[in-house]
Amino acid sequence: MKRRVAIAGVGYSRVGRNTGLSEADLVIESTLAALADAGLEARDVDGVVSMGSDALRDAWMLGITPLSWFFAGGMGPAFVYAAHQAIAAIASGFCHTALALRIIPQQPTGAKLLGGGGAGHPMTAGLFHASGDRQFSLPFGAGNPPQWAGLLTQRHMAQFGTTAEHFGRHVITQREHAALNDDAFFREPLTMEQYLASRFVSKPLRILDCDYPCDSGSAVIFTTAERARDLRKPAVYVEAAALSATRDLHFEILEDMAETSPKHCAQQLWARTDLRPSDVDTAQLYDGFSVITFQWLEALGFCAPGEAGPFVAAGHTRLGGKLPTNTDGGACNVGRRHGANFCIEAVRQLRGECGARQVKDARVAVFSNSFGPFCGAALLRRE
Amino acid sequence: MSTTAEPLLPIPDALTQFFWDGVAAGELRIQRCQQCRKYVHYPRPVCRFCRSRELAGERVSGRASLYSWTIATQAFHPFWVARVPYTVATVELAEQPRLMFLSQVVECPENELRAGMPLEVTFERVAPELTLPFFRPLRAEAAR
Repeated sequence: MKRRVAIAGVGYSRVGRNTGLSEADLVIESTLAALADAGLEARDVDGVVSMGSDALRDAWMLGITPLSWFFAGGMGPAFVYAAHQAIAAIASGFCHTALALRIIPQQPTGAKLLGGGGAGHPMTAGLFHASGDRQFSLPFGAGNPPQWAGLLTQRHMAQFGTTAEHFGRHVITQREHAALNDDAFFREPLTMEQYLASRFVSKPLRILDCDYPCDSGSAVIFTTAERARDLRKPAVYVEAAALSATRDLHFEILEDMAETSPKHCAQQLWARTDLRPSDVDTAQLYDGFSVITFQWLEALGFCAPGEAGPFVAAGHTRLGGKLPTNTDGGACNVGRRHGANFCIEAVRQLRGECGARQVKDARVAVFSNSFGPFCGAALLRRE
Repeated sequence: MSTTAEPLLPIPDALTQFFWDGVAAGELRIQRCQQCRKYVHYPRPVCRFCRSRELAGERVSGRASLYSWTIATQAFHPFWVARVPYTVATVELAEQPRLMFLSQVVECPENELRAGMPLEVTFERVAPELTLPFFRPLRAEAAR
């Protein structure tokens, strides 16, 4: 990177189900929280990118103007896409301080989805119109995210011998971490029996393997290393970042469901740093579905391909293990933030702000987002 | 919740009409490059292997192997509510390595599903106005 980039501040909106918060509310609350965390004013920000809201409206209504750089839309791997654009803009000198947002209005599920609510929501409207490529999935009763997640989960099991208990151990571990996080929705201990008895959404995918839909707004402010040194919180530096797209956006007909874009992403990430997987103190790996975290553990080289199940079952991803992973409890427990929570948790771990779930002396963290056709990841470190 | 059981019908376009015409004729047709002879699915206006613009739907054998599957236990569209559970499958068509096709596997108990198992296409009329190419275990007489 031409200029070194740091993270200045992080913040969330209020988060929950049926909060009544508008998309603009989610933007305002998360942005103000991140500005306060950084000790910055709106006028200090000169770049903005949002996934899920209107970036130019957001900037203008909050008095973030003029903008030297902005990225006002597009399809990409959720939060890490916004983060990567912000990092690139600062590294290349187009702006000095960029706000990256991921804004998510709760997605309709169950009866609400089937009863017509699904057709009216931006995240599910496409599931009710079988045109274009969707004419090859939706009429077949296929093509919904839990179904492609079921396909990828089944392939991991068939190819590597991964078991339901392996996924269960991952889910239980995340719940243990959530118990130490006041912001998590689900904090009660979970047993293997409870996991195995939880209902299938698309077998072998269980409801406890899925992130929890909710209203959420997440904001992260990136800035130059020079500016970060003078701010309220200890600076966290972006050591390396990488995006990858290995095909167009079809999870359900991936040519290889066991190794997807995270492998290519990780190759680029490690090529951009002298750090090695063994240098990572804590990993924050996307868990939209359990199998995604497994793919990232393998792709990033924390274990061999196909070995994520035994790696997790051995306790390595628990607090106190050799790679404490998803220490906030993951999106299965803190609710859907589409990757932003993993960046924010990494930052808080590196600052030493995590209280009972703090990874001792955490100096290097990795966070990732998405998988399959496209994804991204970044390595963060403190001085 | 809506009680309608109308299926979600495909909306063919100039690029995909051949596929649904094939289904109506009881044939599985996949887009094929007329220059390099590679198959392309989902249909595209250019060949990703050789950049030719000359592509056309061609009948394929209907043979495939099972790559992965998932048992749909929850419906995401009203039409399928009364039809769960069913087996969503990604199959690899015999014509070309890694030529993947999304469908359902029918006529096979769940405990007999295996990665790599040989399959053949079967056309199933799921509603008066919708016939779909599904797959079933390859029958012995067909394998000869």
